[in-house]
Amino acid sequence: MSQKFENVSALVDGEASASGTSDSPLLEAVLNDNELMQKWNNYHLIRDTLRKELPKQLDLDIANQVAIALQSEPVILAPKRKWHDLPLVSNVVPFAKQGGQMAIAASVAVAMILGVQQFNHANVEQPFNAAPPILGIQGGLSPVSLEQTRALPRTDVAEQRRILGAYLSDHKQQMRLKSHQSMDMNISVADELKTHKEAQSDVVDNLPE
Amino acid sequence: MTSVLVACLFFTSDTFAQQPAQLVVGTQEADSAELWLSKMSNAMRSLNYKISFVLLKPGVDSQPFIWRHAVDENGLQMEQLNQLNGPGREALRLGNKISYFEPNVAPYSLLSSSINGPFPYEFFQYPEKLSAGYDLVLVGKSRISGRAAQQIRVVSKDNSRFGLNLWLDQKTGLLLKLNMFNLKAQLLEQIQVTSLEVTQLPDAFFTKIDAKMLPEVISLGTSKVRDSPWQINYLPVGMQIRKRELRRLSASGKVVEYVMISDGLVDVSMYLNEGTAKPLDTLVAKSQSDTVLSLQHAGLNVVVIGKLPASTANKIVTSIQRVEQGQ
Repeated sequence: MSQKFENVSALVDGEASASGTSDSPLLEAVLNDNELMQKWNNYHLIRDTLRKELPKQLDLDIANQVAIALQSEPVILAPKRKWHDLPLVSNVVPFAKQGGQMAIAASVAVAMILGVQQFNHANVEQPFNAAPPILGIQGGLSPVSLEQTRALPRTDVAEQRRILGAYLSDHKQQMRLKSHQSMDMNISVADELKTHKEAQSDVVDNLPE
Repeated sequence: MTSVLVACLFFTSDTFAQQPAQLVVGTQEADSAELWLSKMSNAMRSLNYKISFVLLKPGVDSQPFIWRHAVDENGLQMEQLNQLNGPGREALRLGNKISYFEPNVAPYSLLSSSINGPFPYEFFQYPEKLSAGYDLVLVGKSRISGRAAQQIRVVSKDNSRFGLNLWLDQKTGLLLKLNMFNLKAQLLEQIQVTSLEVTQLPDAFFTKIDAKMLPEVISLGTSKVRDSPWQINYLPVGMQIRKRELRRLSASGKVVEYVMISDGLVDVSMYLNEGTAKPLDTLVAKSQSDTVLSLQHAGLNVVVIGKLPASTANKIVTSIQRVEQGQ
């Protein structure tokens, strides 16, 4: 028995002479013997532990899960190649179809424009940001597709974007300029402030009703 | 060969067995989340430290910061927060005066007790404010940034706001890692400390500061509560109105009523916009880790921006009601 395990151990370490050939008697034995298979698993696990190669999340049963997933997956057969699958022809045909596709793409683009574009700014300077970067069209959606649609006039999109930008930048400013009164601070901040110059012009005090 | 493997097995199982013993020792110092948080805020106020951390947000590059704090011989707290990538942005705190140095803006100072930075600074200083709206849970120990850490979870009582997972250094109580997660427990924002140094003496950096050279304190005007015809009937547990005023949006020139609500952890902006020709369309979106919601309600266009779930924002907006003037 222990001889059998030792052979497996040697095989794991790559010391068995049989390595490389799938029909070696030892490999056959491992494949057919559940106990040996378990040993094989354990030895690999031990080796990975010793080498600190273990993944963060240990999923011992991953091979089984893959096998199950494969079984439940529908079989996809490669379609037969037809004449228009030839590279040259397939390059030409889309031009004919493009009109309809562009229309769909354009309408999708407009639907996404407010939802996606607006919020994809890579704003690295966020925490102390003085003013937001000018909102513009980001990569991925070309202005051409926007021109082609008549569903939503372009000025509206731009206007909406501008309004939203105004709110976002004001929110950032508020976050930057908020001041928390400390609990153990006895001096009145408000009194202190009165002696200093008024620097904020954004606050509207007397608004016509 | 087999004997070697078996020996190694014993060795590994042995080290695993030692860990629970260490865990027990750690719990005797402070055994409630409240105690750990007050230990944190005490440490942040009283120690001399230098912390490097990285801020991670969705859709934005990672942002490294350095954060120094010191207490001088007169008991004055000095603090510096500096963004290390890009043109350089810096906040400097001497007592209650905080000076901000940013590109494209003249340097200015504010009177405040907390720096407006990338992290929930108010929470670090006054964690006790959270007890109204959040449950604090002591989770367990782990290892963060090479140090033994205590994990604490902060969950909103009425499940109306995002939660926090934070890891504190077991020895000093200082912050090692902070995760903000949404209601589905997905990560929204992360602060990962990369190095932490606690020293006996204040950092040499603070000796170079000349307090007289710092920019003047600016006034933000008095943020008085206006006699508003609009009443907000619902606020999540623990949230309060911090500020209410009329503001002109600098980018669009429009005058709106501004309301800031806060629970000591997150600050949320609300804009109440009455009868405009072109309101913002109804919209729910994310801007980095902020939620943006725009709704038409009761003749108002209300825009909410902040770190809170969209469902909560919606609930607040739909609770807004017009009340008769003079009541």
